[in-house]
Amino acid sequence: MRRFFPAIGAFLLLTGLLTAAPREADAQDARAFVANLGNQAIQVLGPSVSPAQRVARFRQLFQNDFDVPGIGQFVLGRYWRTASPQEQQEFLRLFQEYIVQAYASRLGEYGGEPFRVLGSRPAGDETVVTSQIDRPNGGRVMVDWYLTNRGGGLKITDVYVGGVSMKVTQRDEFASVIQRNGGRVDALLAQLRQRLAAAR
Amino acid sequence: MLFRRSSLFVAGVVALGLAMSGCAAPAPTAAGGEAFNDPLEDTNRAIFGVNQAIDRNVLLPVAKTYRTVLIPPMRQAFHDFMQNLNAPVVFMNDMLQGQFGLAANTVGRVLINTSMGMGGMFDFATQFGIPYHSNDLGITLATWGFDEGPYLVLPVLGPSNPRDLAGQIGDGLADPGDYVASAHHRLWASMARALTSGIDERSRNIESLEDIERTSLDFYATIRSLYRQRRAAQIRHEEQNLPNPAPIGANRGTSPGISNSVATVPQQHQVSAK
Repeated sequence: MRRFFPAIGAFLLLTGLLTAAPREADAQDARAFVANLGNQAIQVLGPSVSPAQRVARFRQLFQNDFDVPGIGQFVLGRYWRTASPQEQQEFLRLFQEYIVQAYASRLGEYGGEPFRVLGSRPAGDETVVTSQIDRPNGGRVMVDWYLTNRGGGLKITDVYVGGVSMKVTQRDEFASVIQRNGGRVDALLAQLRQRLAAAR
Repeated sequence: MLFRRSSLFVAGVVALGLAMSGCAAPAPTAAGGEAFNDPLEDTNRAIFGVNQAIDRNVLLPVAKTYRTVLIPPMRQAFHDFMQNLNAPVVFMNDMLQGQFGLAANTVGRVLINTSMGMGGMFDFATQFGIPYHSNDLGITLATWGFDEGPYLVLPVLGPSNPRDLAGQIGDGLADPGDYVASAHHRLWASMARALTSGIDERSRNIESLEDIERTSLDFYATIRSLYRQRRAAQIRHEEQNLPNPAPIGANRGTSPGISNSVATVPQQHQVSAK
């Protein structure tokens, strides 16, 4: 029994090191991650990129770098629990494509303007990386990136633009659609399906 | 949304707005109201629809024409000029909120831009590291602890709430520009200023609003969410990277709760994106 103690000690030391020491390394990784994403975004969303290409590249970026299931679950809010497993699966699929289509278009206006990472701070078990985009008209937009690392590398869980959470905005819109249709999740799914069919 | 501030426009809709808001008393959350804080949703949606029609048929064409006729530097100069004209109201609210660092910035900007910037047509202050920040009485009332009240969509003016509406009226009354104009019976001047700044504002948001409308399932709900979150962020003064103004008597600890520092872009842990 006694010979296990060093092993337990080593284990505790190791887990201690793994959880405590890399916090700053995590923050550094998170800043580098966002800086890299900014550079990618300039390529993805540059004015010379065709709309179809933009959608394809943005889809890849969204799937790779965002916590899509986590965001999807948050965005459906309290209706996630009332939805059947099939509805949940279909929602995640539709939601992902809806976000890709909507944001590829909404970000079309962003013409690859200077993007600067300013710093980072912890927020619960997530890391917030603050950045700034300088608009050509002299204005500046603060963009905060929320990142999580739950295995499988860093994933973005939310983006705040000028203090406005994209995740919350989407949740509020979907909740409004469901609410105005008598609390039926399938009404939202129908609207999403219809919207995506029209986009093709 | 369209006309940020004008006593005249506001005065015209005050009665209507207050009547609709039920004497502007913060209404208890209606059943099924979720967290939208929108007990007057049906009325709000109706007005929102009318506003969209006005926007499509009047404001948007005018804003587009404005953008076609004037080259970008002229529009920028005009925008900077209108922004400079609004400085007294911003300064007043900086002071009322105890944000003396921001107030100093506003004064510095006016001095630089009115002189070097030829009456405010050029924004040199931003290049000197004193960027513009907006401020209004709605934010001041919020920092003083006033509740926002129910969400309102005002005719022509767009998203608001009783607190922001009261703020707009107060700002309009306090604005020296409008005050001078009305004292000399030059009401048209105030009117023209409100109209032109509305057109300027609209012309700067043509694409982004169009994109959001086109890609939204429920444009009304999206705008409501954006407005409420945006106002909350402005009240937190996040963009100026300042801590919340501490309530009077609260222990502010070591950080300057009421900042006297010149608010610029945060420099700590600067990391290059390149």
